[in-house]
Amino acid sequence: MQGNRQRMEVLQNAVARIDRRHAAFARHERLRADGGAGVFGIDAVDAAFKDGFPVFALHEVRCSLTRDIGAATGFLAGLMAGRMKHLQGRIVWICDPACRLDGGQLFPAGLSMFGLDPARLLVVRPADLKTALWASDEAAKCGDLAGVVFQIKGNQPSFDMTATRRLMLKAQHNGLFVCILRQGGDEEANAAATRWHVRTQPSAADPHLEKGIGLLRLELTLERNRNGHTGHWTIAWNQLEHGFEHVPTDYVDRPAAPFDRPDGAPQMGQVMAFERAS
Amino acid sequence: MNGRPDAPPIAAIAKIKNAMRLVAVDACGHMAGLRTEQTLSDARALFPDLDVFDHDAQADAALLAAVAAWCDRYTPLVALERLPESVSGSCAGLFLDISGCAHLFGGEEAMLADVTARLRVGGLMAQAAIADTPGAAWAFARYGEKPVIAPGEHGKDLLDLPLAGLRLEGEMLDMLRKLGLRTVGCIAGLPRAPLAARFGNGLLLRLDQALGRVEEAISPRLPVPELSSERIFAEPIALQEDIERTAAQLAGNLRQRLDERQLGARQLELKLFRVDGHVVTIAVRAASPVYHADRIVTLFRERIAGFHEDLDAGFGFDLIRLNIVESEPRQVEQADLGGNTGKNHGEAFSSLVDRLGARLGTDRVQRFVAADTHIPERSYSLVAPATGRAAAADQAVFWREDGAVEDGGGPQVLTRPVVLFDRPEQVEAVAEVPDGPPIRFHWRKTLYKITRSEGPERIACEWWRDGRGGHSRDYFRVEDEEGHRFWIFRQGLFERETRNPKWFMHGLFA
Repeated sequence: MQGNRQRMEVLQNAVARIDRRHAAFARHERLRADGGAGVFGIDAVDAAFKDGFPVFALHEVRCSLTRDIGAATGFLAGLMAGRMKHLQGRIVWICDPACRLDGGQLFPAGLSMFGLDPARLLVVRPADLKTALWASDEAAKCGDLAGVVFQIKGNQPSFDMTATRRLMLKAQHNGLFVCILRQGGDEEANAAATRWHVRTQPSAADPHLEKGIGLLRLELTLERNRNGHTGHWTIAWNQLEHGFEHVPTDYVDRPAAPFDRPDGAPQMGQVMAFERAS
Repeated sequence: MNGRPDAPPIAAIAKIKNAMRLVAVDACGHMAGLRTEQTLSDARALFPDLDVFDHDAQADAALLAAVAAWCDRYTPLVALERLPESVSGSCAGLFLDISGCAHLFGGEEAMLADVTARLRVGGLMAQAAIADTPGAAWAFARYGEKPVIAPGEHGKDLLDLPLAGLRLEGEMLDMLRKLGLRTVGCIAGLPRAPLAARFGNGLLLRLDQALGRVEEAISPRLPVPELSSERIFAEPIALQEDIERTAAQLAGNLRQRLDERQLGARQLELKLFRVDGHVVTIAVRAASPVYHADRIVTLFRERIAGFHEDLDAGFGFDLIRLNIVESEPRQVEQADLGGNTGKNHGEAFSSLVDRLGARLGTDRVQRFVAADTHIPERSYSLVAPATGRAAAADQAVFWREDGAVEDGGGPQVLTRPVVLFDRPEQVEAVAEVPDGPPIRFHWRKTLYKITRSEGPERIACEWWRDGRGGHSRDYFRVEDEEGHRFWIFRQGLFERETRNPKWFMHGLFA
């Protein structure tokens, strides 16, 4: 009786292991068939990648100022919605407690406008950075997820090369899209495959309203790319197509700043958010 | 028991009926003639050097609750005695329903001796009695001589006890005493109708309850767990590894019962009884029914790791109990060869939710649920993620996908921000009067000049929630020179609701 039960358990474990392997394999296959893997979604940006955009890897999206966090979040939401349309599973959004103080929190109605279903999100709000790191590690281990977002404020010493490399390995191994969303932080060397810097740009003129807000535009800089070259684009959100599209620079009101070499004297000091006024 | 042999008697005092009176005295004081309800001045006349301190009812209640928690080791049914102050003889007491438990401790006498002996070691003098009915046990504990009344015997023995044993009001007792009725036996034989007419139904009800003619239920302080398994240690254990191993064994004991009923646990608690009487309860919730011993142990391991301080084992735990507080039928799903299990999330996801919830606390791992309101900060709520049955019930709540491609008719602009501030932040804005958009505003000590704006989108206040005098909000989407897009609103309609409308920053667009 006892022996039977043990044998039963061994067999069940074996079946579960095979199931898991099949699942991971099937994800890769399905995504490749749908064109999800290896495509960023904007032709101009895709040209920067040699072997296509690595979806299952660690990425980083950052904004230099806290007030740009809306732009960075929107960019990430649009990117994830496009890449994960055919991918089953939830998205875990881990938020470092420091972000909430001056960065507000996710608004589901706004996310759903970017095509990201808020019901897919699992919002994790740890009490301190240490547990936030632990939570992101745990989440990246889980093969059932579609993606993991780790929102962090500034450049934290404890979130270093080792921690990011661990995330990167787990993302590749488990077939996950893992992204660091850095709020108000500087460039920093880490193990991420790509690092994007997002800044707002004045929107296009609205064809119907005199002072209306037209297509929203973002200035996107690919600061780091492990597999290809870097680049700089202005992108706009197309609500009809539900995706970002490239806006050729000659339509933009002012020339783009150089992205791969310093322009003028470097800024002294650091831009910081003041304490909240109310 | 006197811990202060050379010191004067000690008493707790409180202000009752406009005088400082004794509320409790120690044994030494009682022997010397001090009584409760005596005024402090009378007591001082007897004992000039009487030690007094203020009565702290909350501390008493906390102590009683701690003792009640400790009594869980004997039976899951422990009730606090809740009698009005005016009842004669009411004091801190506990009812333990030990039906079916006594044999585990070697019979009723042995159990009673164990309870009182352990409490005495803890520094508490306890009077206890075992009888067929709660009323009889109450009476024998206070006024009886035999601690254990054999089944069926309580009716006979009760007759000799004073009437105060029936949990009666002080005034009623005085009246009965004036009539010469002093023991339970005096009224047990009297005709019932005149007694009821004279003293009301309360007297007869208490008599019937004590004699067992009327059923009296005690109300346990905790719900009874659905399943529970425990282990008593001859030598207390303190190491966390030992606790985990014990938890695994207990979970293994429960596995067979769960298998028979095809159930899984949703809510579990591990009770650690420390030798000094302190009880540590570790409660965990699982996102989906769990029954594997290792998954159950993982939950507790993460929960303990999530504590900000180590588990205080003191001199060790001598009893560990695993309770299943809530269970649910298991769901069995078979995966096809492609690895798809019908649902979006499988075992690994619920296990992740469990681990995160156990370590961080379940209120920190949440998902969005839409709410039926237009006020932005109320339009969603964060709830604990549920998988399985509970998730199916939530299917009714869905997101209005304003921007979905499929419906085609949605707005072609983004009307809602992606980031919302929990609390709208007040800004100083210069705007067109009466209801124009802001021209420039100060937010977090920075000036923003607005170049483009759209609005207003008016969201009226919910008078059924906020009451009269709530202000409408006019939301504007504005963009500054650098392209930052904000969601900003004016609270109150100019001249109709307020003279000086205030402006608030509420969200950031992409």
